[in-house]
Amino acid sequence: MLRVIKPGVFSSIQDLGRHGHRHLGVSQSGVLDPIALKAGNALLGNIETAACIEITVGLAEFEFTQPCNFAITGGNLNAKLNSTALYPGWRYHAKAGDIIKFASHPEFLRAYLCVENGFDVPNLMNSRSTDCQTQFGGFKGNALQKGDVIPFSESCVPCSELAIKPTDYTNVVRVLKGPHCDILPEDYLAQLLSKTWTISDLSNRMGARLEHPTLLPHQKSIDSQGVHPGVIQLPPTGTPIVLLNDCQTTGGYPIIASVIQADLRHFSQLAPTKTCRFKLVDFDEANTALKKQEQEITRFKIANQQFENKK
Amino acid sequence: MTCVQCYQLSEQALVLSIDGLITQEVRQKIFALAQTANNTNDFFDIVPANSSITFYLNDFTRADYWLEQLITLWAKSEPEAFIPKTHLIDTFYGGEYGPDLNEISELTGLSQKQVIELHASVDYQVGFLGFLPGFGYLESLPEQLKLPRKATPRAHVPALSVAIAESLTAIYPSSSPGGWHLLGRCEQPLFDPHTDSPSLLSPGDVVRFIPKEHR
Repeated sequence: MLRVIKPGVFSSIQDLGRHGHRHLGVSQSGVLDPIALKAGNALLGNIETAACIEITVGLAEFEFTQPCNFAITGGNLNAKLNSTALYPGWRYHAKAGDIIKFASHPEFLRAYLCVENGFDVPNLMNSRSTDCQTQFGGFKGNALQKGDVIPFSESCVPCSELAIKPTDYTNVVRVLKGPHCDILPEDYLAQLLSKTWTISDLSNRMGARLEHPTLLPHQKSIDSQGVHPGVIQLPPTGTPIVLLNDCQTTGGYPIIASVIQADLRHFSQLAPTKTCRFKLVDFDEANTALKKQEQEITRFKIANQQFENKK
Repeated sequence: MTCVQCYQLSEQALVLSIDGLITQEVRQKIFALAQTANNTNDFFDIVPANSSITFYLNDFTRADYWLEQLITLWAKSEPEAFIPKTHLIDTFYGGEYGPDLNEISELTGLSQKQVIELHASVDYQVGFLGFLPGFGYLESLPEQLKLPRKATPRAHVPALSVAIAESLTAIYPSSSPGGWHLLGRCEQPLFDPHTDSPSLLSPGDVVRFIPKEHR
């Protein structure tokens, strides 16, 4: 079990998300950085969809009440196991009673704690992710609280230390042209692409709200249509919103652009007051980027298997 | 006349969008096409809305094929092919269950009894779900009951409240803030993630409210 001593600013159980229920109004949920989760699960030989804890900001502390092989991935929140520093992209072994602490880091916002075989919370509607808006899934439907005890299966054989090269984060994010640019003023897409945007402190797992001294106001609305993480909505106030994993399933604001799937993960590290820029690409580049990411994880899994077989 | 186009919104999302007057026949075609596409196993989700359907592809390399194929399937889609499921929802109107019934009556110039009869006289169709899991936007409210949303939303609308706003009615599956006028309450659970079919309502379903005496 993992006992929550301090949940930190916001920690929740997440996996690769809840899919197939969007037409019922059910959000996707899931980790904001799927590559970090896949890397952590690959390090531990887990299935790709095993659930982890997503830690936001840090200042969190947990006790392993049983031996555990674990990995930390995502941003470097200056974690320590007892007094030993831990680094993202590595797997480690903890003994019963060991304490893992996440501090914080000015450049990073989210880290992922994966354990061998994943956290054992109920699978609801095909996912173990916490739906924080509707309060179901994850551990009792909520962000982690002090005193929560989260089950997972004990690791009997301590793992050797092993690392996967962490994939870098950037604040230059590739986007596809949105379908509603033609009902918006002519230069709005160009303005979206030329400005450096600041992440607003109203941002959360539902969406990153973007600020700039000169906004992109308008008076257009569209008939509500399906939306999903990555869609960039432009409400009449002119502050673009990059929808993230806990977003609603339909929306009536014009869609000015969509973040390509391979790059959406960068928003997992973009804290309020950080800036971002957008770069327009086509579907070919978006698809290639996604394939490349998948190949990197696959390559690591193969290398890892060969390494384990040699031992 | 309607004009239909299909475009790619993101790597995995294709949108069929319908311009023009959305008649009941067009609506039925939307649900019929969603059903046809659902049977292909090429999509992990299909989200019909008022004048569009968003299709989420399992394999993004199939995008070009489906962009063309969806237009063809739309042309072939028969309104009669979609047979909606009907739900009869027992509803307690007014009193503590419908705190806005009095105000609705004043704003519409109808008696409370007339408001209830009118609201319960229509078969509503779930246009789409959104806002909350299991929250269906039900169309279409009788003309005389159309009111703008409340100027100040309530911080807490109790779960299972039956509400109206503009040309729509809805049931709140769980408690949440909300700006709709509260007319009554029902008892049937609308959303439970612990069951095999978590949402009572699906897109295209038909709902009829049955007034019940307060106990």
